[in-house]
Amino acid sequence: MKKIVTISLGLMMVFSLLASQQVFAKDPVKIGVLVPLTGIVAQGGLEMKMGIEMAAKEKGTILGRPIELYVEDTQVKPPVAVSKAEKLVYKDGCKALIGVFSSGVGLALAANIDKLNVPFLTTHVMTTEFYGIHPLVFRSGQLANDQTAVGNVKGILARPDLKEKTYYVLVHDYAWGHDAGQRFIDLAKENGIKIYNEDYDKAPISTKDWSSYISKIKASGVDGVYIAFITNVIPVFAKQMSDFGLQDKVKTISAAAPGPLELEAGGEACYGIFGASDWSWDVDTPESNDWEMRFWEAYKTIPSDAAAHSYVGAMNLFNGIEKAGSTDAEAIAKALKGISFDGPYGNVRISPKDNCMRNSAVLTETMAAPENPFGAKVTMKVLHTFTAEELGPPE
Amino acid sequence: MNSTVSIPDISNRFFLLKCFMVILVLVFLGLFPFVSDNRFYISLITEMMIYGLLAMSLDVLLGYTGLLSFMHNTYMGICAYAVGLFLIHISPESLWLACIAGIVFTSLVALPVGWVQVRTGGLAFALLTLAFGMMFYTIVWKWYALTGGDDGLMGMPNPDITLFGWHLGNSGNPTTIYLFTLIIVTICFFLTRRIINSPFGAVLEAIRENEDRAAFIGINVRRYKLLGWMLACILASIAGALFILYKGYIGPSTMSAFAGAGVLMMVLLGGMGSLWGAFAGAVIFIYIQDYISTMTEHWEIFLGLFVIFLVLFLPTGFAGLGDYFKRFRKA
Amino acid sequence: MNIFIQIQRTGNLIMSGIFSTIIDLLLNSLVLSGVFLIVAIGLNIIYGLSRIMNMGHGALYAVGAYIGYSLVAAGVNYFAAILITPLLVGGIGLLIERSIILPMRKRSMVYTLILTYGLMFFLDGMIKLIWGNTPRFVELPAFMQGMISIFGTQYPVYRLMTIFLIAAIMIGLMLLLNKTKAGIIMRAASTIPEMVSCLGVNMGYVHMGAFMLGCAMAGAAGIIAGPLTTIDPLMGGEMLISSFVVVVIGGLGSLRGAVIAAILIGFVQTFTEFFITDLAMVIVYIMMAVILAFMPRGLLGEGRFE
Repeated sequence: MKKIVTISLGLMMVFSLLASQQVFAKDPVKIGVLVPLTGIVAQGGLEMKMGIEMAAKEKGTILGRPIELYVEDTQVKPPVAVSKAEKLVYKDGCKALIGVFSSGVGLALAANIDKLNVPFLTTHVMTTEFYGIHPLVFRSGQLANDQTAVGNVKGILARPDLKEKTYYVLVHDYAWGHDAGQRFIDLAKENGIKIYNEDYDKAPISTKDWSSYISKIKASGVDGVYIAFITNVIPVFAKQMSDFGLQDKVKTISAAAPGPLELEAGGEACYGIFGASDWSWDVDTPESNDWEMRFWEAYKTIPSDAAAHSYVGAMNLFNGIEKAGSTDAEAIAKALKGISFDGPYGNVRISPKDNCMRNSAVLTETMAAPENPFGAKVTMKVLHTFTAEELGPPE
Repeated sequence: MNSTVSIPDISNRFFLLKCFMVILVLVFLGLFPFVSDNRFYISLITEMMIYGLLAMSLDVLLGYTGLLSFMHNTYMGICAYAVGLFLIHISPESLWLACIAGIVFTSLVALPVGWVQVRTGGLAFALLTLAFGMMFYTIVWKWYALTGGDDGLMGMPNPDITLFGWHLGNSGNPTTIYLFTLIIVTICFFLTRRIINSPFGAVLEAIRENEDRAAFIGINVRRYKLLGWMLACILASIAGALFILYKGYIGPSTMSAFAGAGVLMMVLLGGMGSLWGAFAGAVIFIYIQDYISTMTEHWEIFLGLFVIFLVLFLPTGFAGLGDYFKRFRKA
Repeated sequence: MNIFIQIQRTGNLIMSGIFSTIIDLLLNSLVLSGVFLIVAIGLNIIYGLSRIMNMGHGALYAVGAYIGYSLVAAGVNYFAAILITPLLVGGIGLLIERSIILPMRKRSMVYTLILTYGLMFFLDGMIKLIWGNTPRFVELPAFMQGMISIFGTQYPVYRLMTIFLIAAIMIGLMLLLNKTKAGIIMRAASTIPEMVSCLGVNMGYVHMGAFMLGCAMAGAAGIIAGPLTTIDPLMGGEMLISSFVVVVIGGLGSLRGAVIAAILIGFVQTFTEFFITDLAMVIVYIMMAVILAFMPRGLLGEGRFE
């Protein structure tokens, strides 16, 4: 029995090697895009898809071959994502995977990457566990939790009114939420910022009715709250805080950037949210403005940072494949180390030390938008720009 | 509700044909991984077999005993978590021990729940399964320290499969797990068939047809309902053990109400009261769900219409199509 | 574990602002119970009269919320919207009843259950198609925003209004059932349908009316609950589970049972969410399991009162 299995396995390997040689010749470069299109972060997933598609269109070809994107819906469920990943790699023949919003999904995918044996570049997962998690796993996307914590803490220390506040920490109950909350608490304590509840409060991802949490915040008498919520949910929470009259009394600092469409829907109730993010359309540099207009032309919707960092991540991946000269997983992985791209928010470089990106970022606060071509009424106003070195982690 | 499978009629001229078909299918499935190296298809068929087993277990409950469960996947999930936790925390190498521990644990959970539930029937029973199912789902979902909550169980090892000291392969290998699943599922299928076609099965069907009448002829309805329930849960837990070995991962979404509806659809699609129909239903359902969700993000609309169509026009499901043909030919 | 620290901490919270917090919680509970109640009663009406468990009920609630949102966004007066939406949802209920429920009348209940389950997927999918995935916020008229000082605490005006609206609906329902001919027929039909039929009432219309009324209630609950949090495509499924819990505890088809169960669950959920947030829903489900273990038919059994 064992002999038969080994012989057949051997035959299979030979066969697949031969088959893959065939695929090389003139086919398009197939990239699997895994984003959530249903579920609570559907809007975020859509924005990521737009960013990646825009990059593919602008890049045009890799190694003289057209780029073909295969998009699958992760439904924010790790087992579904892994199944779809298998489908993308083994049925559709994708040579790399890109995307993924949720840290939970990202970690599950990373755990299974040996089975898939293709490079995986996430354009949004923020958990710090991604640093050096696997030679085939990379990040070029939104700031990681530790970088955000550094940004937020520095931001708080720079403002005397924020420095004195006591913060109630409330996170979404999953890998990313816990990590984000913990990072902030640790760093805040080191810097003398007062935290109300060190064993941060956790809310299920699906929470829509925040009244009990808001009652607790109200009853605790704090004047600041640090939230680690999925971007689409932040404005929902802010609106209810405002409904309960807490918008002016309690300052909201967020570990994630709120989604632009949801901010529009929330309106004034969403003013005053403070937080660090890699980009906001308020960034006023020629590259940024140019990118915003190109995005607007293509999609007619407010440029979101999810789209921006997905665009940059995709560009990094495409350039990596180009640099590798082939679609071999190991070659791409080697090429991605140290690669960088100059985009809407400056230079984004994937560090060879831990496969994750370093880039500059901005500290923002939501407020009424100035005149803008997108018809947006709420903006994330840039208060300060951090350099990549400031945010770390050190290399 | 007519069942399309009852006591095997050996004199039936189709019997030989059926046997031949079964052997053909098994041979095909057995040889498949050696013919095609495509990992995706091997995994897909493995998944279909596991869900087929789960659907079959629900069919035992619904098609034969007449008890509807909205969340039968709960017990598959509980066993999967149990096996996973056993392998992670207690002993990463003992595959059989983990599976047995998982099945025993799930049965111990299913027993009191079943005892409470069988005191009712019909709709009340169905709602209770929903209620208990949601309870377990929420417990698993919230108990982050133990189950990993929304992220699911991480760090599953891939133990080797050894039988009486004979090393058969590693459970991380898709072909190995495919064959392992095929064997276990086939054994379960034939065992279940044997049980269903025994007097015990006849009692279950009697209860399904008319509870009161069954009671009148002296059957302890509650006890048999409970036994039927336990059989269904044990089969579901075997599916759960296979699931986690195959997937290397389990998350609360597998135990959700939505997934529970999926299993129900499979049984409906395949035809209630037909064991092999449940497998057919699983295959069709997984295929359709995958196909439709790739095609459009609005797959829910189509799924809904499909279900409505199915219930209105094809209530006996896939297996019932055979009846239609028979009727056709006679006319 | 973590739970004890949580309880201790919330205990401290209470001590500091004890009275206002309690009032907050009481009012929150009433709001929650109220919404559950309307939905559960709709479910019970349909079940009580037609013996159909409408799995699409949550989706209809969501449809009500979205229709209400769209009406208000289009400039319709808020109070007008509250009146129109249930009628519209009732109309949708009529369509559903005539097209797919009617042919199922003779068949076993299992099929109807699965049929309405398919309906739920269909409606949820349509919602996503028409309104998209982004959560929506309802624009409330100015006088309903803001807070009001009541019983020593600051409480949002709209939430208070919700309680009154729900009470009004309940009173309206009671009047309907007790004073009007239609109501009396319905009450009779829930107990002995055959007799009602013998007396010359067209049972087909009764079933139709019951379904429409149930759907209208779901729609009403939807538009009332919409502004409380946000309106998103997942709200239907969540409400479905909650309303089932209420109905199962209260007793299938029992209106009075629904009242008791809704209040029970609303209060338990709100208070446990405040004290031990992690375990809130688990406690609700465990409570349900315990109640059902001793009383599988629910607190008040099947049947219909009030």
